[in-house]
Amino acid sequence: MNTRRRWLERGLRSTDVQEVLALVIMLVLIMLLMSQASNLFLTPRNLTNLLMDTTTVGIIAVFSTMLMISRGLDLSVAAAAAFCGILIGRMQETNGLWAGAVVAIGAGGLIGLINGFLVTYVGINPLITTLGMLSMLRGLAFVLSDGLTIPVFDLTGQRMDEYLAFAQLAEGRAAGIPYPILIMLGLFLIGLIVLRSTSYGRALYAIGGNEEASVLAGLSVKRYRMTAYILSGISAALAGILLTARLYAADPRAAPNIELTVITAVVLGGTSLSGGQGNLFGTLLGVLIIGALLNGLKLQSVSTEMQNIAQGLVLMLAVAIDQVRQGRVMFGLGTLRRWVQRKSTG
Amino acid sequence: MADTPLLEMQHISKSFFGVKVLDDVPLTLYPGEVLALLGENGAGKSTLIKILNGDYQRDTGDILIEGRPVAINEPRDAEMLGIRMIYQELHYAPDLSVMENLLVGSLPRRRGRAGRFFIDWKEARRFTTESLKLLDVSIPPDALMRDLTVVERQIVEIVKSLSREARIIVMDEPTAALTPPEVDRLFQIVERLRCQNVAIIYISHRLDEIFRVAQRLMVLRDGRHVATRRVDEVTPAELVELMVGRKIEERIPSSADSAGSQPVALEVSGLTKQGAFEDIGFTIRRGEILGIFGLLGSGQFNLTRAIFGAEKADRGIIRVEGRAYTIAHPQEGKNAGIGFVPVDRKVNGLVLGLSVRKNVTLSNWRNLVRAGFFRQGLERQHTQHWIEQLEVRITGDMEVPVRFLSGGNQQKVILARWLEANVKVLVLNEPTWGVDVGARADIYDQLEQLAERGLAILIVSSDIQEILSISHRILTIYKGRLTGEFSRAEASKERLLQAAAGGGS
Amino acid sequence: MNSLKVLRGSNITTLTLFASFAVMCLFFAAQTPFFLTSGNLQTIISTLAVNGIPAIGMTLVLITGGVDISVGSVAALTGVVTSLLWLQYGIPLGISALIGLLSGGLVGFINGSLVTLLKINPLITTLGTFSVVRGLAFVFSEGQTNLLSNEAFQFLGRGQILNIPFSLLCMIALYAVFSLLLYHTAFGRNLYMIGGSAEASRLAGIAVTRHLLVVYTVSGLLAAFSGLISVSQLASSAPRAATGLEFTVITAVVLGGTSMAGGKGTLIGTLVGVIILRTLDNGLVLIQVSSFWQDFARGLVLVLAVGFDQIRARLTGRMKRRAV
Repeated sequence: MNTRRRWLERGLRSTDVQEVLALVIMLVLIMLLMSQASNLFLTPRNLTNLLMDTTTVGIIAVFSTMLMISRGLDLSVAAAAAFCGILIGRMQETNGLWAGAVVAIGAGGLIGLINGFLVTYVGINPLITTLGMLSMLRGLAFVLSDGLTIPVFDLTGQRMDEYLAFAQLAEGRAAGIPYPILIMLGLFLIGLIVLRSTSYGRALYAIGGNEEASVLAGLSVKRYRMTAYILSGISAALAGILLTARLYAADPRAAPNIELTVITAVVLGGTSLSGGQGNLFGTLLGVLIIGALLNGLKLQSVSTEMQNIAQGLVLMLAVAIDQVRQGRVMFGLGTLRRWVQRKSTG
Repeated sequence: MADTPLLEMQHISKSFFGVKVLDDVPLTLYPGEVLALLGENGAGKSTLIKILNGDYQRDTGDILIEGRPVAINEPRDAEMLGIRMIYQELHYAPDLSVMENLLVGSLPRRRGRAGRFFIDWKEARRFTTESLKLLDVSIPPDALMRDLTVVERQIVEIVKSLSREARIIVMDEPTAALTPPEVDRLFQIVERLRCQNVAIIYISHRLDEIFRVAQRLMVLRDGRHVATRRVDEVTPAELVELMVGRKIEERIPSSADSAGSQPVALEVSGLTKQGAFEDIGFTIRRGEILGIFGLLGSGQFNLTRAIFGAEKADRGIIRVEGRAYTIAHPQEGKNAGIGFVPVDRKVNGLVLGLSVRKNVTLSNWRNLVRAGFFRQGLERQHTQHWIEQLEVRITGDMEVPVRFLSGGNQQKVILARWLEANVKVLVLNEPTWGVDVGARADIYDQLEQLAERGLAILIVSSDIQEILSISHRILTIYKGRLTGEFSRAEASKERLLQAAAGGGS
Repeated sequence: MNSLKVLRGSNITTLTLFASFAVMCLFFAAQTPFFLTSGNLQTIISTLAVNGIPAIGMTLVLITGGVDISVGSVAALTGVVTSLLWLQYGIPLGISALIGLLSGGLVGFINGSLVTLLKINPLITTLGTFSVVRGLAFVFSEGQTNLLSNEAFQFLGRGQILNIPFSLLCMIALYAVFSLLLYHTAFGRNLYMIGGSAEASRLAGIAVTRHLLVVYTVSGLLAAFSGLISVSQLASSAPRAATGLEFTVITAVVLGGTSMAGGKGTLIGTLVGVIILRTLDNGLVLIQVSSFWQDFARGLVLVLAVGFDQIRARLTGRMKRRAV
């Protein structure tokens, strides 16, 4: 019995490894498929593009993963990114781009603070809170921009340096790799370390695993929660800034439905919506899988809508496979089987 | 007793993930009898009754009712056969009325062709009122479950099972939350049901109840059938031996003489929270184990939660080693040097998905973290130290999720956590609920050793045997007020019960 | 007494809800004389059904502790399927509409199957179908908006009986039927039980799987119905139709006091929530606030209403304890 139980435990502990492995296989398969379909896919240029396209989702996903590990949720990220972009667009004339960027980061933090306050201190369901915030921020972004795209471009030609430097945020490269990709990978690395070996990371897992027990262990649960929301808001602001720099424009419609893509990537990566488990390695793979999928489909000139279908299917498929693998659906299938039996026996 | 058994379970086996939890277990139940089902945690009791109720599928074996084999594949099948469960853990919808929770799955319909689609609320209310009378309780049928006390919810759960026509009733620790008068009433009902030829399977850790209510008993150990006896053929000591598989010696509590001269570790005075407890004052010295005995619902848990800061008291002073603290949050309690072991350790005490190591260090990262980073070697070292010190038994190593530990060992992990946090006062709520008979003595020993090393320990328990066998000094609480103080020598079952029932000392 | 019982179990006191509605109406009435004209009221009530009908399904789903993000996509798909069958394949409009409706039900059934049989979290499941179904709407329609002018069909969205919009009558009938179902049948009560404690329901022998399947299917059907009404009102179907419907509907339902945690909620509350949101949009347009503020106002109302209620619940809880 003891050896059996030990086997069981080892099996459980290697779940993480299995999960990551499954994701890697999935990524490789998609990449193989896409490279078969188009010989443009595996070119360095396209791969860079692919990665660039994932940065918005990726940067936000790092902090969404942390948030979801602590059993939080932030749907307002995409709207916050667009809103922060608009802030820069509005401030470029009067205060300059860099001041705008700083304000944007501050605004992101404030948005996170409000979300966190409403969730932890007022006690509103996170889904509702951030849904409300999403609606408000999109609204504000439209109000501030009159619903128009604001060009972030040196129209007068007098502040060339400032604008070039700002654009460098997105276009600059170090060791041949564009800054946004480096920033994203850097954040993933930092996040990985934070989650794995700092007290902050440990607290997030504990809170998500059992909030009441964490309170009774003397953790300052509310403060950790707040921080997670604030970081999520700041990451959205950062994504918004990079997006603005890349597009030379601030668009109130920017990052459409990105919040859903982020959740898809995070859940695909094995983070549970019910908190307490998840890892950033999985999230990174999730982000890459979706990125590769969308990029590959784009190369096939598949419409955005078809890309949506593919993304939705990948999400459901991945979660379903995971459910089956973890043996959680045995009961469900059992019900079906019994139902069929009952029908057939009369 | 009739000759034909009402229920026969034969050769029942069940494995989970290749681990055999039931191995060829038989069970026979006659109409009109109470069969006590005994065994330590993990012996397979709950698996067996869950198979009976269709929650789990058996791997092999047969279930016969009145000699005819029956198929029980899901709870509905069991329901149809007149098998009723009273579960230990409560399952209810908090925002629905008592009435609807009581009648879940069988709300009465109106008469008539169109009427049968609709619920007959009048009948439902009448039925609920009648059923609640069974236990002589006055709970309004329209009250929301959310607004009831834990005890009242438990009563509703019991009444729920009793109110439906039943042939077999399984009671899993039904008295855990009941007061003695309510237990008496429950036993009267059991007696009445017996007269109506209903058969009852009774599961309880409280041996005295077994001897009061059961006619026969059956003992399981490690998933195997050990013995089935008539209750009047065994003594309590023999019974414990059957369950544990070895002799358990009577505990003789250590002496507490040395504590008298020690400095006071915790002093509580005038602690009041309206509606929960009033004007509580006591002291605990270093090295002393103070027991607070009270029937459930006497406000004792509110009191301990307030001392730790999990609840806010209205007024009162708490001093730890002479220093006064305002404690309004568990963090402040911890910083003052108080550790807290909650009643329900699985729900409130541990993060079950995290490893033993991470649970042990959860309350104190100060020494283990440098600039926010864990010093992993040191953390492992500390954890190892407590595992050895408290003799925590883990299959595997300290990286095993704490979920897989037995109840007693889980309790030790919480103890280790507070010791790691270096607390001066440890507050324990019902420390051995759901802990095996064998592991209990082990925990008592550990607590005594901790006290000897200077820790002040406050134990709140509704188990009088527990209080008597471990405390150096005992307080009784009744309706939120302290009603008596007894030294070890003065304390007796009768005096404690009297004081805890408000009878004065 | 009986109606009070219906209201009980609501998250937000219905009184608060009515009061805030009244304050809002007074505000708009004071700002502009057009607000209280019969023409404007007609406008408000004739557009209620599009949000009001899927809100019924959403209420049921939330009561069981789930959520359905796919309603907007389903509404769009229904419109697309209907117009496609009618225009391209010449199938009679009535049958086309019926098939459109059933396609919505099918999506709902698939949602229900994934939630119950594969035990995928409802948010994730319907997020998936949200993308997939919206994509299908685009694929089927090739991204085109189709005009759909048929007098009989337009009666659904624009017709009136005794000066009352037909769609409103449909909605009221549905609210009546589902209220009856929810409060006075075992099926309805079981939904609350499942949301309150799925385990207790299962142990009591309630067929949880079947109930959930029905609920998600109903949600799909009602979303589809809403899609048909809006196609009829606009006389066209577009794959982009009903974008954000899910957010509006969830907002209305939660505003109406249904708990995201399940086991709690009323249809009356939902109805009031729907009316409040509609009136808010309408009033803002009338006082010439840019339509961009509407999203903001909607989000604010949601957060304020739920937040206010949380605080109130906590305060009364504290008071109650004091009183003991």
